[in-house]
Amino acid sequence: MVAQAQDGDRKAFSELVRRHQTAIYRVCFRILCDAEDAADATQEAFMRAYDKLSTFHNQSAFRTWMTRVAVNVSLNARSHQRDGVPLDDMLVAADPSVEDTVVRAEAVQQLHGALQGLPFNHRVAVILRDLEGLSYREVAQALGVPEGTAKGWAHRGRAQLKELLT
Amino acid sequence: MNLEELLPDYVAGELSDDERERVRAALQTSPQLWAELARYQQLFLLLAATSAQEVSAPGDLHARIARQVALRSFLNRAASLANELLGAYGRALVYYLGLR
Repeated sequence: MVAQAQDGDRKAFSELVRRHQTAIYRVCFRILCDAEDAADATQEAFMRAYDKLSTFHNQSAFRTWMTRVAVNVSLNARSHQRDGVPLDDMLVAADPSVEDTVVRAEAVQQLHGALQGLPFNHRVAVILRDLEGLSYREVAQALGVPEGTAKGWAHRGRAQLKELLT
Repeated sequence: MNLEELLPDYVAGELSDDERERVRAALQTSPQLWAELARYQQLFLLLAATSAQEVSAPGDLHARIARQVALRSFLNRAASLANELLGAYGRALVYYLGLR
């Protein structure tokens, strides 16, 4: 699919967008904490990917490569970010129980708030590792740093979250 | 790495057998380490709850991106055509019009 897109097949690129847009949007949303900014960042990330598709050489999975693009776009977006839409408006509870939903939404909101207080690299490492479930190798590829550095950032992020939340 | 730094990986199940045994042995004798472990367990429950929360992308996102891609593709082709037909003048025109 990626090779077809690299050959200029727009339908193939559209299929890549369809497959990965939710994961990429989720990363942007968790970094930016704002629904509109996350949608804009996702769109920008896919446009950058479209322009630079020839530089993707299968050294990592396409999703990991896209995540790296999205992290870079989100980093730029943070510098001129508007006030956020309340998280409650964007989070859809997986659990249908109302009481559980409320408790869970509050906890999630607390965590998102605490994440915003972390240094950018630590925050993104925790988001990719603990919320998105990427391996340390994938986190390192997405952040463009050695695996040990990515691991260190995730550790420091977790330690800071522990102090803030428990 | 000191023992306290190993705790989050212990909770996440990411330690080697040797490291896991080191943490277990230390936990037997250190109430302070137990307290820290409990805090990390609480944090990981929060992370798991957050991870499980569904985040929905806007319904029109795919269409928005598809429109942008179509436009970019058209402009690229137009720029390429202008370059072929008009050479340096075509390239100058493309830059002047801000198409690239």
